[in-house]
Amino acid sequence: MTSDDLSILLLTVRVAAAATLLILPLGVGAAWLLSRRGGAWRTVAETLLSLPLVLPPTAVGILLLDLLRRRGPLGGLLERLDIEVLFTFKAVVLATAVMALPLLVRPARAAFEEVDRRLPGIARSLGCRPFEAFRRVTLPLAARGILTGTLLAFSRALGEFGATIIVAGNIPGRTQTMALAIFQRHQIGQDAAAMRLVWVTVVIAFAAVLASELLSRKRSAREKG
Amino acid sequence: MIELEISLPLASFRLELAATLTADAVAVLGPSGAGKTSLLESIAGLRPDASGRIAIDGELLLDSARRIRLPPERRRIGYVPQDACLFPHLDVRRNVRFGMRATDRESVFDEAVGILEIEPLLDRYPATLSGGERQRVALARAIATGPRLLLLDEPLAAVDVELRERILPFLLRVRETLRIPCVYVTHNTGEAAAVTSEALLLRRGGLARQGQTLQVIREMMTSSLDPDARFDNVVAGEIEAGREGDDRLVFRAGEARLIVPAGPAGGQAGRAVYAVAPEDILVSTHPPAHVSARNVFPGQVLSQDVSAGGTWIRVAAEGIEWTVRLTRAAAEDLGLEPGARAWLAIKTHAFRRLR
Repeated sequence: MTSDDLSILLLTVRVAAAATLLILPLGVGAAWLLSRRGGAWRTVAETLLSLPLVLPPTAVGILLLDLLRRRGPLGGLLERLDIEVLFTFKAVVLATAVMALPLLVRPARAAFEEVDRRLPGIARSLGCRPFEAFRRVTLPLAARGILTGTLLAFSRALGEFGATIIVAGNIPGRTQTMALAIFQRHQIGQDAAAMRLVWVTVVIAFAAVLASELLSRKRSAREKG
Repeated sequence: MIELEISLPLASFRLELAATLTADAVAVLGPSGAGKTSLLESIAGLRPDASGRIAIDGELLLDSARRIRLPPERRRIGYVPQDACLFPHLDVRRNVRFGMRATDRESVFDEAVGILEIEPLLDRYPATLSGGERQRVALARAIATGPRLLLLDEPLAAVDVELRERILPFLLRVRETLRIPCVYVTHNTGEAAAVTSEALLLRRGGLARQGQTLQVIREMMTSSLDPDARFDNVVAGEIEAGREGDDRLVFRAGEARLIVPAGPAGGQAGRAVYAVAPEDILVSTHPPAHVSARNVFPGQVLSQDVSAGGTWIRVAAEGIEWTVRLTRAAAEDLGLEPGARAWLAIKTHAFRRLR
């Protein structure tokens, strides 16, 4: 691996980690809300949250670009706060976060739904405030699903391409993640250099998915006795 | 004192109930689906759709008219649900400690573990426990928080579980040592009679009867108010040291000196609780001679009630009230009227040890 490869890898891991941390509280909160019995608005909210899974990533990128441009709904506010997002590291993080969010929310929501609804109530009767009951009972019981979702989201964030290239461009050293670098190297005919990065991504993705498998097995064995 | 005025929508009817409970221990009886569990959940504060008024010793937990609704964490009520609802991700030790605060004395934990005899279970996870063990852990978890009221919901299935699995002896012990008032849902009327002095009998949608436990049970047994209900004569007392022969023990209860089987546990002296089915007691109008039963004593008939399941006779003997079930024909032959003298004969092996 060349030093170039290494810095691309580090940037990619930083992007994926930042995006995952950003969506973790949001995604867990959304998953919990969606897991509770609810009306039509919850179905609509869930559908909206799942859109990044099915839309072309470039379409999501264009929507984000529109949202963040100077005269856009969010861009104006950001400009007043003197925060530059487009074509920066922040844009890469934001694009990957939006694309990865549904992969966290779906398994986390399923995990929350599997928690016996009476358990938080029992925790309350034992003296817990609502959030404490959530933290000590609901959250640990849903932890496996949340962890699975987090690892999936992280893996997805490592490979995000379409939305990133639209809102962040493909700027080496600033916004060029592995997926973008592989594309660029392939375009200019450096296939061997592209292949080195391909193998790095394979190893990382394999490790992340394997870790989630192993963790979930260890936990379930103890609780099932 | 517990004042209840509850209105609660359930799946197919609305539970409406008003009662003032003054006894330290109250039984809630009634058929499945009458709303017994929902009643307990309302008292614990776990039913946001319950309205009305609930007060314990004058303190309001709920008063819809004044928009008072104390959240469950401020009610100080220990709730033991039907299937125990232990936290599956925590071992028994951490389940019992769950509601304890950092400022609580360690002796509270030790006492709860001691009374419920769960020391050997402390490192195990709920998934590995039997139903009876789970109930004991759930009861320990509830009393470790120092509640002012215990709500105990015995599962319907507990009627058929092995005697050694029953929670009743532990509940008796909790009552004796900690003196926490309790509301106890059970399908075994004999157990209700052993623990409580006051009873509520629910039917779909509301209160069918309220009164002294024995009185309510009598009315239940002679009607079809709860087809699932069972009755056991529950006798609590002391095992005497030493044995009576090879395989029998002496058990003192009331004024009675009873001969009971030693069982596999052997003859440890101390507190014990036995159950005798009402069908396992023989009644005679004359002193029986040359019978094999080891326990024979005279008594006086208190009442006789005829129901579809047979004739129920209550007899006071040796300081204990015994309930006997006879076929109608047998009862008619004997002609036992209240006040009449009668002899009871109980085989050693009719005594089944609960604890």
